[in-house]
Amino acid sequence: MVKKLTGLTLSIMMTTVLAACGAANDSANGGETTGASSNAAANVNANANETASAPAEKIKIKYWYAFGEKIEEAKQHLVQEFNASQDKYEVVAEHQGNYDDLHAKVQAAFAAGDAPAVTDLEIASTGVFARSGMLQELTEYAERDKDELQLDDFNKGLMGNAYVDGKLFGLPFMRSTPILYKNVTMLKEAGLDPAGPKTWGELEEYSRVLKEKGKLGMTVPADIWFYEGLVAQSGGQMLSDDGKSVLFNSPEGVEPVAFWKKLATEKLIKIPVGDEAGATADKDFANQLSAFKFASTAGVTGTLEIAKANGFEMETAFMPSNKSYGVPTGGCQLVMTSKSSDEEKEAAWAFIKFMTTKENTIYQHKHVGYLPTRMSAVESEEMQEHFKQFPQYKVAFDQLEYARPRPMETAYPEVAKLIREAIEKAILTPDVEPKAALDEAADKANKLLAK
Amino acid sequence: MTTAWDKLRPYGMVAPAIIIFSLFFIYPIFYMIYLSLFDWNFVSPTKSFVGIQNFRDLLTDADFRKVLSNTTIYTIMTVTLTTVLALLLALWLNRKGILHGFVQGAIFSPHIISLVSISLLWSWLMDPEYGLMNWVIGLFGFGKLAWLSHPGTSLISLVIVAVWKGVGYNTLVFIAGLQSIPGDIYEAAALDRSKPWTTFMKLILPMLSPTIFFLVIINMLGSFQVFETIAIMTQGGPINSTNTLVYYIYENGFRFFKIGYASAAGVILLGIVGVLTLVYFRLLSKRVHYR
Repeated sequence: MVKKLTGLTLSIMMTTVLAACGAANDSANGGETTGASSNAAANVNANANETASAPAEKIKIKYWYAFGEKIEEAKQHLVQEFNASQDKYEVVAEHQGNYDDLHAKVQAAFAAGDAPAVTDLEIASTGVFARSGMLQELTEYAERDKDELQLDDFNKGLMGNAYVDGKLFGLPFMRSTPILYKNVTMLKEAGLDPAGPKTWGELEEYSRVLKEKGKLGMTVPADIWFYEGLVAQSGGQMLSDDGKSVLFNSPEGVEPVAFWKKLATEKLIKIPVGDEAGATADKDFANQLSAFKFASTAGVTGTLEIAKANGFEMETAFMPSNKSYGVPTGGCQLVMTSKSSDEEKEAAWAFIKFMTTKENTIYQHKHVGYLPTRMSAVESEEMQEHFKQFPQYKVAFDQLEYARPRPMETAYPEVAKLIREAIEKAILTPDVEPKAALDEAADKANKLLAK
Repeated sequence: MTTAWDKLRPYGMVAPAIIIFSLFFIYPIFYMIYLSLFDWNFVSPTKSFVGIQNFRDLLTDADFRKVLSNTTIYTIMTVTLTTVLALLLALWLNRKGILHGFVQGAIFSPHIISLVSISLLWSWLMDPEYGLMNWVIGLFGFGKLAWLSHPGTSLISLVIVAVWKGVGYNTLVFIAGLQSIPGDIYEAAALDRSKPWTTFMKLILPMLSPTIFFLVIINMLGSFQVFETIAIMTQGGPINSTNTLVYYIYENGFRFFKIGYASAAGVILLGIVGVLTLVYFRLLSKRVHYR
């Protein structure tokens, strides 16, 4: 019985399908009535009219970005502006987590042949991505549109990570340096000069006074980015110039860890470790437990809001100097992936150009706090006025004078992990000497870099 | 009379399952074994054949040994704690009553929550400065614990989360196991004036052994492949104290772009899990009381 029923249903379905096909063929074959054919003609005309008035089909490309809140607001806003500014291209922006998440996803998507045409890329990873052929070289595009692009207008201090082996791969987008955030109210209450520490020695003195008041000097995660800054301030380098060996276990590299360890052991500063370390530093600063924090200039707008809500005065300053001032740059640039079609690449290039214009770098700077990437933007009246009104925003730009690019070696992400572990080990384990921990990491790192 | 259709039909019926299984399980396994012999970053057009170099590197890498020992310690602690706690809870909850129903529901609820949410929740609970956990133990006069942010306590903190999540499900399975023990055996034991402890050791445990066997295996396989909590709560740190095998594979493959190396670690994970499963089925099945 069941079988029979199935047979019946099947045959019915087959008939229906076949009949439908037949009908379709009929009308396609030239129509039985004049009415039908005139209808078809009318349809063709209507289509033609549509194509004349509006472009056939917008070229749609994907843009992947990192981070939420203010940063995301700014990126989404710029994408909307771009889509509204022209009718050839449409950019679909998709949030992908933090930089590490974003990089992992772009790589997987690229392997699967479904990469976004444009993506944010953390500057230190430009080397890995470019050398493995995932990025489209931009040199020709930049040459073709040089009048419009004004490549020279970008701040020199930010272009170091835009080139890999002499070829242009990205344009500076939301770029940063770490800066010192100060809770001026706490300093005044502790009877300290609100100007804040200019040197490591002063940072220590400030912290001693703050400790007596039951507070902390600063909460600082053992972050590779801050460490790069402290090494630069001590006059050292992370890697040798050819990138084949490490230099962070030199005295200039050991000094920052020894300094951190000393201050942490005396409980003058707190060094949280682990995934939540950055969040802990933010919380301690927001709750006025610590008077200082190191953080990206991307946090200026957000921290100003927090300071206002929690009733304290916040200012920013250079990271204190040891032998000299010095900071790494950070943040992301916009890059184009290499496997898109030529049309998509044109769309991507138009989008990248739009995102990095003078007007838009001013917008993202004011909305988030990232650096203004173009000199013409910095010199503009709008910006000078803004700097005057909120000097907190200007520090990161002034500090660029002492900035250096981040290492871009293929093995650097792994080297960075080794360094972070060595710092954690030196700080969390009382009897481990900073030098010994860094030497151990240097041995492993040298093997990775030599490959 | 058998037609060709009769012969082919079973194959047709299992085909969808087999195709999906081959595509998403069998093929990736062989592809992983293939990749483990190469030095490749997943995207560059050329991959270079390196033979067993990846395995040699892995076995001489002190970090990898640390990762293996972390994984083993994590697995042993999680499986033991989950199983023992769940058994005790099941013995207590295996009766009717409003309180028992409520407790059963309460401890089961973590099982249906996404592990990502749980990880975020516990990250906050275990915050050394502002977390609820430190406040609670502070009430009892204990000092603050570092939880996830010190290598001494980080792994056990992750075990606590895993046990918290897993114990409800395990309890439920144990209760089902307890209820399937026929009542007349208890009656016989009572007639023989068996003491509760004797009843437990000589009656309940043997009758429950299939359940225990099942739970130990699935808990162990699950713990060996722990990933989400680590990716969200610790990222393997501090100082590699919570880096486990699957996170290590992910880290090498997708953070450091070393697919060959990561695949080699994957092959080793496959080997370990495979051997463990075999050993368990061989050895334990002899001691398991099947009815």
